[in-house]
Amino acid sequence: MHPPNSLHTEASFDVLVVGAGHAGTEAAVAAARLGARVGVVTSALETIGQMSCNPAIGGVAKSTVVREVDALGGIMARATDLATLQFRMLNRGKGPAVWAPRAQCDRGLYRRAVRSLLERHANLHPIQGTVARLTFEGGEPGARGLGSDPDNVGQVARVTGIETIEGRRFGARAVIVTSGTFGRGRIHIGADRQVAGGRAGEAAATHLAEQLEALGLTVGRFKTGTPPRIDGRSVDFSRLERQESEIESFDYSWSHFWDSPRATDTGTRHPAQLPCWITFLGADGQRVIAEHLGESAMYGGAIASRGPRYCPSVEDKIVKFPDAARHQIFLEPEGHDTAELYVNGLSTSLPAPVQVEILRTVPGLEHARMTRAGYAIEYDYYPPTQLDATLAVRAVAGLYFAGQVNGTTGYEEAAGQGVVAGLNATLAVQGRPPLVLGRETSYLGVLIDDLITRGVDEPYRLFTSRSEFRLTVRQDNALARLAPIAEPLGIYRADERAIIGARIEAVAEAHAIAERTTVRPEQAGALLAAAGSAPLAQPARAADLARRQGVTLAAVFAAAGVGSGLPRDALVTAELEIKYAGYFDRERLQADRMRQMGEVSLDAALPYAGMQSLTLEARQKLAAIRPATLAQASRIPGVSPNDLQNLLIEIARGRRRKTAGSDHEVAAGS
Amino acid sequence: MSPDDTIVALSTAPGRAALAVVRLSGPQALAIAGAVVRPWPIEPRTVRRCAAVDPSGAVVDRLVVIVYAGPRSYTGEDVVELVTHGGVAAPASVMAALVAAGARPAAPGEFTRRAVLNGKLDLAQAEAVGDLIDAGSSAMQRAALTQLDGGLSGRIRALRSAVLEVEALIAYDIDFPEEDDGPVARDRVAASAAAASGQIHALLATAPAGELVRAGAMVVIAGVPNAGKSSLFNALLGCARALVSDVPGTTRDTIEAIAEPAGAPFPLRLVDTAGLRETADVVERLGVDASGRALAGAHAVLACGETQDAIAAAVQQIRAFTRAPVVGVWTKRDAGPSGVVRATKDPAEIRAGGSASSAYPVVAASAISGTGLHALLDEVVAAVAARWNVPAPDMPIVTRARHRAALSRAAGELAEFQSVWRARSLPAIVAAVHLRAAVEALEEIIGAVSADDVLERVFSAFCVGK
Repeated sequence: MHPPNSLHTEASFDVLVVGAGHAGTEAAVAAARLGARVGVVTSALETIGQMSCNPAIGGVAKSTVVREVDALGGIMARATDLATLQFRMLNRGKGPAVWAPRAQCDRGLYRRAVRSLLERHANLHPIQGTVARLTFEGGEPGARGLGSDPDNVGQVARVTGIETIEGRRFGARAVIVTSGTFGRGRIHIGADRQVAGGRAGEAAATHLAEQLEALGLTVGRFKTGTPPRIDGRSVDFSRLERQESEIESFDYSWSHFWDSPRATDTGTRHPAQLPCWITFLGADGQRVIAEHLGESAMYGGAIASRGPRYCPSVEDKIVKFPDAARHQIFLEPEGHDTAELYVNGLSTSLPAPVQVEILRTVPGLEHARMTRAGYAIEYDYYPPTQLDATLAVRAVAGLYFAGQVNGTTGYEEAAGQGVVAGLNATLAVQGRPPLVLGRETSYLGVLIDDLITRGVDEPYRLFTSRSEFRLTVRQDNALARLAPIAEPLGIYRADERAIIGARIEAVAEAHAIAERTTVRPEQAGALLAAAGSAPLAQPARAADLARRQGVTLAAVFAAAGVGSGLPRDALVTAELEIKYAGYFDRERLQADRMRQMGEVSLDAALPYAGMQSLTLEARQKLAAIRPATLAQASRIPGVSPNDLQNLLIEIARGRRRKTAGSDHEVAAGS
Repeated sequence: MSPDDTIVALSTAPGRAALAVVRLSGPQALAIAGAVVRPWPIEPRTVRRCAAVDPSGAVVDRLVVIVYAGPRSYTGEDVVELVTHGGVAAPASVMAALVAAGARPAAPGEFTRRAVLNGKLDLAQAEAVGDLIDAGSSAMQRAALTQLDGGLSGRIRALRSAVLEVEALIAYDIDFPEEDDGPVARDRVAASAAAASGQIHALLATAPAGELVRAGAMVVIAGVPNAGKSSLFNALLGCARALVSDVPGTTRDTIEAIAEPAGAPFPLRLVDTAGLRETADVVERLGVDASGRALAGAHAVLACGETQDAIAAAVQQIRAFTRAPVVGVWTKRDAGPSGVVRATKDPAEIRAGGSASSAYPVVAASAISGTGLHALLDEVVAAVAARWNVPAPDMPIVTRARHRAALSRAAGELAEFQSVWRARSLPAIVAAVHLRAAVEALEEIIGAVSADDVLERVFSAFCVGK
């Protein structure tokens, strides 16, 4: 028996966040914005906001998540704006619908930005400590044995706080675990060198991981890898292709909420831009890897867990694609205060001496000095089908999981889960209804729905192809999509509300101008010729011109001398909505259908195990995942449309039994 | 599966019958029926004789229509029941008109499902409805159809893969813009799309054959009176496996039976006609009588005669009504050589419709001794199979209107994609909407949805690494 917690706790919080990476910091800020008293516990305060792997934020689909996190009050976009040292717009040539901004960041600046953004919230308290265990109402609960009786979902333990290995105790009404790769983390450098660790140079967290497993939560192991880093002073840049920042030509801001321009007379909000460098791994390097494959932690059999297919180790690449003559390598600056470079594309778990040998086969790196060896890390994750759509662990009241512990990979995916868990943990504590984002609203909605209904069998990352709504869910319209949903929660300050209003208004204004402006043939002549489009015979509406291929709304407005006060991004949004209106409508129709299915809610206590008309697989999956709606059920692998149909019939039958004696007329005709 | 849809289906067993019931249910049932049925509107729960018209205004069938206003209906929604003439053509054309007016072909069991959801039936009753419907069809036929459907699912999955392949190429290009493999060539996408489209059209082309497999090939026995037609009819039933016998024809002038020759990829609906008469003015009259109608709907005709000249004369008369393949039957060959006495010269000619005189084989047969009957059945089956491109029995074919509608939609979306891709009129991500719609249409048939499939393809085909 434990004595009542209140006697020993140092402080009590509404929400306590374990971990201060990208998920943890966002969870803490989200909770703080809702007025919660928040604690953030991390093993080392210096590592708050640490970028453990590639020093980059954004990219395809991920950039949309950064913007969504920002629209929900998060800090990732703002920190990125402050730390960007190189900017690229990916997919430039494929139309603004798929533009994907990506920023290389100064790691140090990014960390400092995150920490100072946290500390802006008076009710947010950083705490240094390593969590030893969670505390529970009525003492330690036994193992739940969740698998044995899938329909027994009534009884759950309730979390009351945490204890650190240093002996500090804190009370909390909700705990969000965001411990990343620290759960029993094991670092592998070569087949026979392993150390316990959550990140290079940092200790793993074993106590909490052991407790979570003992509670009966299902635990899996994933692995991920990171490449070596090198001393930039040892690189022969004359042999490398230089890739410049594009920040000036796009004048891009990640955060919607800046009240000042990115660049002013006195400077920019980010540091000076640095180039990245492109080189490649050729035949010599591939031969070295092939020779030493048996010494790789992964190919030598030291790691059995699954890693991501899309961020494969260089060993993976040469085994799976032996015909590729060369593999690209990007050298990315780590920061302004160091010459260290991140060798993107060379993730490996080969022994350190082999890594040096490989590096020196790469053009420009013939004399490279390796500062840090690449490594693979193996860590605990908790299959996210144990969570509900608020990222709450179903079996433990008040416990939430966010980030890499849920089997995802990527800073952005982690941050997005952090926001959703932080908001929902607080809403639950405050007795308010949860915030559940549908797939049609955001990539965050897709991410969380995929996690909780489909689960993961490799580290999960977002792609545009995962979304049914990749035309209407874009990085340029995140605020318009999410602010109306988040507004009623009360997360915005007055100045932020004004910015949201102005932005949504600007897009509406662009539409209105496009509809009412008539462009004369002589005004449109030059821009149509430039787009290779037929000249006008008579005046045309601006909106109709913007529908033409290769014609931008901004160019039409400029030619007609209208809309000069509108921000460029509002014009991009309006142009996409005008140009592809028919296709957007198709997506909206599908969104409506999905919403309808989403409105058929499924009772959490449905007795799936006894539903004989469903296939055994469907019964097991439904009982394990307990979808909240029919739409979610439809996305569970193994649940067929036929099962859904039978499920509805079973539910209707259950209802009829409950209301026996109902006066439904049964038609005789068949 | 939106409950806002209005669904339509043939509610009676397909095939030869006096009447068929086409049922329409959903919120738009009255409006859709109003676009097809003349006169309109019709008082609910009254019986009215009407005409059905297609979008061009042409009358496609005369029918009896009953309107049930929801909730007092089988499904609980507005329901219109259209009692059409039986057979394959009449209900299909009425269904087509209703689909053109906005109805969607119902999924299996969907009417009953709606009845259940609207509280009109409970599960036990719904199951009973299913049992009743099943009891009406022969077990053998069901087994054959199940087997067919399994093969079809495999084929649809392959089509889905083919479209996903195109989608994966586009997804790779968008999701991995800086990868080793570099941008995907437009030609590569176009070639993949063309391959997928070709496969879908190949399957769609089996739809007429599907009708044959489902409803049977109508084989009309024709010839002058006393040419031995009825004896032949009975003898053929005796040597094939008779599934149903003594089915009354649509008029007193024809009788019909369903037989399945061993190994045939489709059953035969044998129709014995009253007989062709010889004078020209009577031939004209024949056009409206039962024999003429039977001939007009035939998949093949047996031209019976006791001499080669009589057969040739019968063929000539038959040609006034149909271009269906003809097999000459030299009847009453109780003695002497039997079997194929003249083979078909060229199967391609049969497929093309054949010329009046040269393209038919002749089989000598005896209804009494039974000689030549198997050869005759083989000849008929071969002629029908050649004319309607019936693939080998283990090849999947489209047998259902619902499948055909979904496949047509997939083909249409893919064509749309190919056209915008060629014209470069849309960014890839927008054009891909058509690919996703094509995949969805295919998935409607087999029910398998996963965006992971696209990624699976990307990762297996490309080196994705940054």
